[in-house]
Amino acid sequence: MNYYLLFAAFALHTTAMFRRGYSINACPVNNLYEATLFIAWAIAAAYLGLGMIPRLRFLGAFASHLLFSMGVFALMPALDAPYSSRPDFSGTLTGLHAALIFLAIGAFGLSAVAALMFLTEEHDLKFHKLRAIFSMLPPIERLERVMNALLLCGIALFTAGLSLSPFLLKQKYGVWFKSDPLLDYSIFIWLFYLGLLVSRWKFGQGGRRFAWSTAGSFAFIILTFWGIILLSPVHHP
Amino acid sequence: MNIVVIGLSHHLSPVELRERYAFAESKIPDALARLRQSGIAGEAVILSTCNRVEIYAASPLPPAKAFSEIKDFLIRNGGVTDDDNASSPPAEIYTLAEPQSLRHLFKVACGLDSMVLGETEILGQLKSAYQLAHGHKHTGAKLNKAFQRAFNVAKHVRTHTNIQRGSVSVASVAVELAEKIFSAIAESPTLVIGTGETSEKVARALFSRGVKNITVTGRSLDKADALAKEFGGRAVPFENWAGEFEKIDIAVSSTSAPHHILDRTKLEPLMKLRKQRPLLLIDIAVPRDIDPAVNFLENVYLYNIDDLQAIADDYLKQRKEEIVHCERVIEEKVKGLLENLQPPLSEGVVRASSYIKNMNG
Repeated sequence: MNYYLLFAAFALHTTAMFRRGYSINACPVNNLYEATLFIAWAIAAAYLGLGMIPRLRFLGAFASHLLFSMGVFALMPALDAPYSSRPDFSGTLTGLHAALIFLAIGAFGLSAVAALMFLTEEHDLKFHKLRAIFSMLPPIERLERVMNALLLCGIALFTAGLSLSPFLLKQKYGVWFKSDPLLDYSIFIWLFYLGLLVSRWKFGQGGRRFAWSTAGSFAFIILTFWGIILLSPVHHP
Repeated sequence: MNIVVIGLSHHLSPVELRERYAFAESKIPDALARLRQSGIAGEAVILSTCNRVEIYAASPLPPAKAFSEIKDFLIRNGGVTDDDNASSPPAEIYTLAEPQSLRHLFKVACGLDSMVLGETEILGQLKSAYQLAHGHKHTGAKLNKAFQRAFNVAKHVRTHTNIQRGSVSVASVAVELAEKIFSAIAESPTLVIGTGETSEKVARALFSRGVKNITVTGRSLDKADALAKEFGGRAVPFENWAGEFEKIDIAVSSTSAPHHILDRTKLEPLMKLRKQRPLLLIDIAVPRDIDPAVNFLENVYLYNIDDLQAIADDYLKQRKEEIVHCERVIEEKVKGLLENLQPPLSEGVVRASSYIKNMNG
């Protein structure tokens, strides 16, 4: 039921985003409101994709809360600032760049959801709480696998999105690289997630520490991304 | 015809008494035929399990008469009859007439009268007993309705209440825990340290859930080998068990060692070899085999016998809380069945009752 309700919400969300995109003739990722909703849309898309495998639908139990919170956050009036001029982010390449980055953040978000589920269940199992058995949560081993797969997916999308940046800078400023808070921040995020995955593959980092890192990284993105975007002259002229 | 129940169960009768009156399955059809031929019962079902021996009968006799006749029948036909005391019915035999007999049947079907509250095995046994009687044409409209309704009630109770939720045995709790850690416990290699009765039970429970790779170790390699063979596994010498930790996911320990055989300093390097894969340790030995401090290691989940028993007890407590709910359902269904079993009123009776109603009104 949860899956189909989210599917219906996703369909309505997609329609609204299309309409908005057509009205500005660009991908609707030009202010904080649009960016928040795009990330929420990406998380929902990632969930619906994973949810095609019925045993992974459990993610919806936690993801729906996150999506609801993001939706409420996006409704704050100041976030949907009217465009002073035609949006700066136009063109296919820009749209693709933004979409890939936000889809990656969506995947990171969903992996954070799996991490929170892992931490809840792991704590209950460690401290012999009866609810560990009573809960409908899947085995922690499966949650860990889902976390890992989503991080991989996220890093691949993030890498693809980030690799378009030099072309956009060349297009707009005539340079291949330009120091910008959001660009520096994105590189830092990319390195951090890469480090997380490498430590897992190379040093067998898993379990609670891996889950805390995954959930913590996404919390860091959620708390800092909006501020950094405002500081970026390239992204917020 | 009134549905009556006469029987013995684990509640009041020790096994020595129950076995004296138990019926061998092969002898039940003949016993039922004799019961019906004697005129005591028009329809009958005999339920004979390790925990109860009960005769469900639809009898044309008044209940008091039916009870004494069926008790005699039970003494003459059930189990061993050459016992000295067999001539007088034991005081532990209970007798129930409608509606208590129907209520009892429903409770038995739902597992509310079982030794392990809410267990489902009894429903299968009840179904078999009914099918055996039905197959030999010893049931009729009354018992057919009652038993069919009992099976429906059991299904309803199972799906709408929590009476069967969770495991109430230590072995099953251990399996449930494993299922919360590993996504496919069938693929989880298991090491059984010690060949004690409880570890054997846990191993058996894991085996019944599909665990294929079971390794057994014990101070007696012969015993370990014999147990391993039962599960299609292998035995390893007791000195070498630590070497298995790299491969296994679950360890069940129940040795009679007077000290910890596994502690933090021993497990830490083994966890590195395991690349921090989760490890479930079930310590059912007293004194304990595994130092409780290992539970502080990441990816290690240690449960001792008290932890497992506490979970099983909690489950049982929750099941007991469900009894009221189940009994409410049963009460409702018994009422419905009694209305259904009432013979339709004849035209004269209907006319007379409406006349009395008019006179009063």
